[in-house]
Amino acid sequence: MHNVVIVGGGPAGLSAALTAAVAGAPVLLLDSNPRLGGQYWRTPADNFGDQNENHFDLATGLKLINSVKAQSNIQVLSGAQIWSASHKDGVSTLRVIYQGSEKIINTGNLILATGAYDRSLPFPGWDIPGVMTPGGVQSLIKGHGVVAGKRVVVAGSGPFLLPVAAGLVKSGADVVELLEANKSWRWASSILVLLENLSKIKEGFYYIEAISKGKVRARFGQAVVGAYAGENGELESVDIAKIDRNFKIKKVRNIKCDVAAIGWGFTADTSLAGALGCKQVVAKDESVVVLIDSKQQTSITGVFAAGEITGIGGSELSMIEGEIAGKSAAKFVGCAVDISRSDLIIRAKKQRFAAALIKAYPIKSGWRSWLDEQTVLCRCEEVDLADLKDSIVELGATDSRTAKLLTRCGMGLCQGRICGRFVVDLVADQLNISPTDIDRIAAVSRPIITPIPLGVLAAGE
Amino acid sequence: MKNPDAIVIGAGVVGACCALSLTNAGLKVLIIDRGPVASGTTGAGEGNILVSDKGPGAELTLAIRSRDLWFDINTDIGGGFELEAKGGVVVSRSAKGISDLKKLSVLQKENGVEVIELDGAGLRKIEPYLSESVEYGVLYPGDAQCQPMLAAAQIIRAVKKRGGSFIQGENVIAINSNAGSLIGITTDKNNYSCPIVINATGTWAGEIAKLAGSHLPIMPRRGFILVTAPAPKIVHHKVYDADYVANVASSDADLQSSAVVEGTASGTILIGASRERVGFKADLDISILRQLARQAISLFPVLSSIGLLRAYRGFRPYAPDHLPVIGEDANISGLWHAAGHEGAGIGLSPATGELITAQITNQSTFIDPTPFSPKRFQGSEYVAV
Repeated sequence: MHNVVIVGGGPAGLSAALTAAVAGAPVLLLDSNPRLGGQYWRTPADNFGDQNENHFDLATGLKLINSVKAQSNIQVLSGAQIWSASHKDGVSTLRVIYQGSEKIINTGNLILATGAYDRSLPFPGWDIPGVMTPGGVQSLIKGHGVVAGKRVVVAGSGPFLLPVAAGLVKSGADVVELLEANKSWRWASSILVLLENLSKIKEGFYYIEAISKGKVRARFGQAVVGAYAGENGELESVDIAKIDRNFKIKKVRNIKCDVAAIGWGFTADTSLAGALGCKQVVAKDESVVVLIDSKQQTSITGVFAAGEITGIGGSELSMIEGEIAGKSAAKFVGCAVDISRSDLIIRAKKQRFAAALIKAYPIKSGWRSWLDEQTVLCRCEEVDLADLKDSIVELGATDSRTAKLLTRCGMGLCQGRICGRFVVDLVADQLNISPTDIDRIAAVSRPIITPIPLGVLAAGE
Repeated sequence: MKNPDAIVIGAGVVGACCALSLTNAGLKVLIIDRGPVASGTTGAGEGNILVSDKGPGAELTLAIRSRDLWFDINTDIGGGFELEAKGGVVVSRSAKGISDLKKLSVLQKENGVEVIELDGAGLRKIEPYLSESVEYGVLYPGDAQCQPMLAAAQIIRAVKKRGGSFIQGENVIAINSNAGSLIGITTDKNNYSCPIVINATGTWAGEIAKLAGSHLPIMPRRGFILVTAPAPKIVHHKVYDADYVANVASSDADLQSSAVVEGTASGTILIGASRERVGFKADLDISILRQLARQAISLFPVLSSIGLLRAYRGFRPYAPDHLPVIGEDANISGLWHAAGHEGAGIGLSPATGELITAQITNQSTFIDPTPFSPKRFQGSEYVAV
């Protein structure tokens, strides 16, 4: 019998597992990846010592992973995919696909640390092979030692672009452009927050130094607004625009490249929390996150959440949230452990930094003007902007759910993880209204969290 | 819209077809729904247009007529709702099931349904992935399928282009009459005067009838559908187990399910069909999903490796005698009901619209409308639950 079940093996889940186990609670840690570390500390199958120099603080991750592995009261199930979950009368039921069959896990004490994935925005040509997310490019390098291309444009917004560019430079790629859509002055109002988070400045310099070795200079107020395929159907060049503070295009130039890594921050993966019935809210950056109290407990007693799913804030905030959640869950099962004042102070400091990030890297609505009628929105079901407009203007959809059902936009294999968020904005845009929280939360609702083979489903009881 | 000739309450496929039929007869029609287009049972259906699942009787006559009308509508409004004459295949694996299916298909044939008996080899010729254990089946070339939400939306678009209108987000709170004649309706936002109102609110039709002081025992009969990830063409027809016919006709409140498997234009495979009377209970019942998966795999073993992507549920509008309710209200003249089609609403909608319109405009009807009349429930002991 496991006292605490934790879902997610990234910074938050690992910290939660170690903290709860050290406090005396037996832990079952479920992770969908083949190896612990999450997206942030993703490592290749063997010999990850090499990767140390590609990553600012992989050492922290390796230490944490090794501590978790060494802890005798933690059992790890790697490669465990939860396809469905529910909560009733204090018991959470997780239906897990593990090694080709289904395993049912019931628990009264659960910590959710399911992380986040890249946020994408559409533009003409973004569906051409070679246009990738920074997370995708980075996981190829970190997980497989593969460099995605020779001439790479890194673009979008947010601090994550730096480690991706740095990783590419170190792996021998030519980073021909590094483009941040926002202006650097946006940090000005957050100087104090920066000063209290010196480790973050250190991290920034680490990457800037790494990038400068590749003679790469970051340009601000610029974005990739178009992509073109060559005769082989793969990416050949991109249009780069100077944009104003609302992301409206001012001036465009074209540059040759074979890969464009474009990301706009992250979207929390709250599918599991939603399936359990945890209350979700819309954060300042308009992403849907899990609502928690000061103990990291969700709206359901005995279900805790930590890391990116409570709001995008990076690995350090994830780790302290994981520690607090670990303590809360351990205490909930009767271990003598308490959240300390310093835990709360550290978390508050990291939260201020996370809030400053949101302020420094806003995603402005001008991106919607980059699209043309033929711009594909849903890559799984090949739905373009004209189709979406038709569902609204001609077929009378007045909400994103109806528009989705009429066009199949967001109903493909990725279950709307890529397009769901921005389609809500585009539908509202067409109708000249603001999306409601209900619209945004509905767009991330996935009762079937991940596809399950019918044979596995049929074999279950 | 000021002074419509007729108001249709409900923007599902039944309401849409009634509105189109009335519009084509020259009436100015206003459609009102409390939600968006097809937000009720229409949006949760497979899009069945079947002649195969009904024994001889009034409903089969309605179904055969309706099936042809769907293709007329497709031509009339210019398509856009994935109408496909894919054909249905009904199979059975038990001696009794096979003998019942044979008897049923003979009767259907006598009533004008095209039927083709097939043995195991014949079946696998048209459905190569069908289980080796299946050795008898009947092909119904007349069965068809459409995308029901698109059908409702495209028909309503045509109605609007022809002078009608559609107001969404208004909830009907009163049916207004004077000396037994309808004079209009009141919503939570507006008053509308109108001499003719069609209640096409499906599973919720009893509530509208109640506003008129009438009794319409329509109950929800819940069903789940599994949707797979897009797959190569595995299932070519709508393929279902003969038990389905028995389940459709059953009045049992408990769960029944029988395999119904079909591919769609988008590459996904739809798997039904469960039936149970549990009110409007909305939660995802995993044990039903498992049962549906088992039954589908037993027909098409290859489905075992295909991923389940979504599951959704809907509430079929169920009338205790399994016949749709199509006709004028027992108490108020000018109020018409078009509801209670259970799982056959998509298929039966065009004929329902035609039947309603013919009666309103005093034209002759293609079928005696008496069996469908809502008056059959007056003074009955049927109680909606």
